[in-house]
Amino acid sequence: MSLLAPIISDNGTGFSKVGFAGNSDPSFVFPTAIATRGPASQPSRSGPPVPSKPGNLASKRGVEDLDFFIGDEALANAKTPGYSVHYPIRHGMIDNWDHMERYWEQTIFKYLRAEPEDHHFLLTEPPLNPPENREQTAEIFFESFNIKGLYIAVQAVLALAASWSSNKVTDRTLTGTVIDSGDGVTHVIPCAEGYVIGSAIKHIPIAGRDITQFVLNLMRERGEMANVPPEDQLRVAGKVKENYSYVCQDIVKEFRKYDSDPYNMFQRFTGEHSVTGRTYKIDVGYERFLAPEIFFNPEIASSDFLTPLPEIVDGVIQASPIDVRRGLYKNIVLSGGSTMFTHFGQRLKRDLKQMVDRRIENSEHLSGSMMRSTGVEVDVISHKRQRYAVWFGGSLLASLPEFYSYCHTKAQYEEIGPSICRRYQIFGSVN
Amino acid sequence: MILLESHNVIIQTTVAEKLAKPSALDVQFVDYDGVRFHLSTPNSKTVLLLSMHIRCWDELVRYGALDVLKREYGPWLSEQVEPEYNVSLEIDLAQAPQEGEDRDRFIKSLSLLKRHALAAPFERAFIAQRSLEDGASSDHGELMQIHYRDEEAIYIQASADRVTVFFSTIFREETDRIFGKVFLQEFVDARRLPALQNAPQVLYSNRDPPLELRQVRGLKDSEDVGYVTFVLFPRHFTNPDVAYSTISHIQLFRDYLHYHIKCSKAYMHSRMRHRVSEFQKVLNRAKTEVATTERKTVSGRTLVSR
Repeated sequence: MSLLAPIISDNGTGFSKVGFAGNSDPSFVFPTAIATRGPASQPSRSGPPVPSKPGNLASKRGVEDLDFFIGDEALANAKTPGYSVHYPIRHGMIDNWDHMERYWEQTIFKYLRAEPEDHHFLLTEPPLNPPENREQTAEIFFESFNIKGLYIAVQAVLALAASWSSNKVTDRTLTGTVIDSGDGVTHVIPCAEGYVIGSAIKHIPIAGRDITQFVLNLMRERGEMANVPPEDQLRVAGKVKENYSYVCQDIVKEFRKYDSDPYNMFQRFTGEHSVTGRTYKIDVGYERFLAPEIFFNPEIASSDFLTPLPEIVDGVIQASPIDVRRGLYKNIVLSGGSTMFTHFGQRLKRDLKQMVDRRIENSEHLSGSMMRSTGVEVDVISHKRQRYAVWFGGSLLASLPEFYSYCHTKAQYEEIGPSICRRYQIFGSVN
Repeated sequence: MILLESHNVIIQTTVAEKLAKPSALDVQFVDYDGVRFHLSTPNSKTVLLLSMHIRCWDELVRYGALDVLKREYGPWLSEQVEPEYNVSLEIDLAQAPQEGEDRDRFIKSLSLLKRHALAAPFERAFIAQRSLEDGASSDHGELMQIHYRDEEAIYIQASADRVTVFFSTIFREETDRIFGKVFLQEFVDARRLPALQNAPQVLYSNRDPPLELRQVRGLKDSEDVGYVTFVLFPRHFTNPDVAYSTISHIQLFRDYLHYHIKCSKAYMHSRMRHRVSEFQKVLNRAKTEVATTERKTVSGRTLVSR
């Protein structure tokens, strides 16, 4: 039998992206949620349900452990009496292993319909994931599912690999800065030759959810949301954010543009009431460019976090070892849904470039203008696969023929034990 | 989820999506038992090409898979088969049924492609049983072999009063074999329940093939092989609806078994995790409290022992 395509599973805090290597899009994108029977109050004294009377007959045993839903079905069943929804991943890390094991079980058997014994798996982990978590994951995959081989990759590295699909990228390097902005949190992660520089990573508490909330507030203040039923408001704000937003180069000019030509700049959003089916129309205005602006001027939305994104990125690169800084400035890669705004990359590049040039000028001046700098190249890469960049990077790497040699196989696992998964060989490295 | 579903979710969701909004597409995915699918739009955005590669295709064709597929898909079945695949369906989205129940049924039937292909030998066996019942020419029909996985096979044989289905399965791991044994023992036991009297008889043997299979050549003789025998009586397949669901369920039996072995392991693991955390609590209670006195330097900084 020819080798079957490896399975790529990118389990994030909000959504899981799963599919087969070689494709350009994940086969399934659904919430990382599991609806199980039992009360929502998590740590129950009794542990998992125990069959009441251990008898000989199968009929006497319960099947409570099979009675659960995952993904969209889990959310649909959230209100069914007896079920409660859990989110097994918190802040990118697996929080509840029981739920996660069952979540994977159903992902593989119900959605992917693959026999895990025939496949290699590529999983992703957030940067700074403790090695114990990696071991636990390996234990589940090798011992419960008997998979053939496993590779656990760092999300940021996969995002870098995904940027190879952009035609701007000429050399396939794993050095670069990744700006990964999803639903919950934004990370800025420097990578050198496939290794994450852990000490320099920074988190920004602004991400998709906050932008949606900000759009909602703006629209409420203007009174647009009066026609929209309250339960739909957040969803509508999300739609507006996704479909109408863009990044402007200058806020003041943009405001003036809207004032001089409102008919052209204001857009109309048409929605349908989810219960009555009545259509409503709302105007979409300044939030079009103000929404992504909170990355660059966070003070318009939040009062406790005030550092703009370009400044953070600059700080991260300055905190990295000096010999890789050039590479990090040259290859800034965007990943995740919240970096999808049009012109996001250009704006970031411009702001960052200004910052870098000013610093160089200053140091030239301080050195008495004796030496001229050749300048530092700053480039932000945006590409078509940005939304599921991590998954796509995984798909790209796992479809390479060398992928199998990077995996830890079941035989190796059995020989050495879970500790084998503490270390994975980096793609493209010699050993 | 106790039973595995017989339709492929990826085909279902993707085709539904493309019917609503045609666009270019090229995806490859799999189904149980090493079946590979390729769904693409090679020529125009509105014509989907769904190709399937199945390991035992030649055997299935011999047992009439093409007829079954022709019956199910008729004009959709493509004359030209995509290279590297065994069978292709050409779906013109413009000619697909209008939105509503018809369309849902159409999508569902596409997602059952693998099920229909594998159904052929079963249907043939059911027909053979009927003819054997009428004329008592020979006791047994042909023993149909379907090597649907590398080392595992389904054998189907029709007799005058029954159809027997044998599965050979391989457990790659010691633990799996034990789980499998317990699981199959449960099958035998469960049948004693009054409510399940009508279920087909299930027999299980480890290592030794059942008598009917003794003459088959090339059977693997090792400890990790197991044989499961299902005896289907006419009541399981005379009614077409019952026959349909019998086929759907029985062909997924191997995957069903392995799925449940994995589920049981997952269940065991969660019990173990729970037990460990309970023990940890007990251990923590047993810790003696060390009276820590803070040691300070002259300047008021605390010393911490490592």
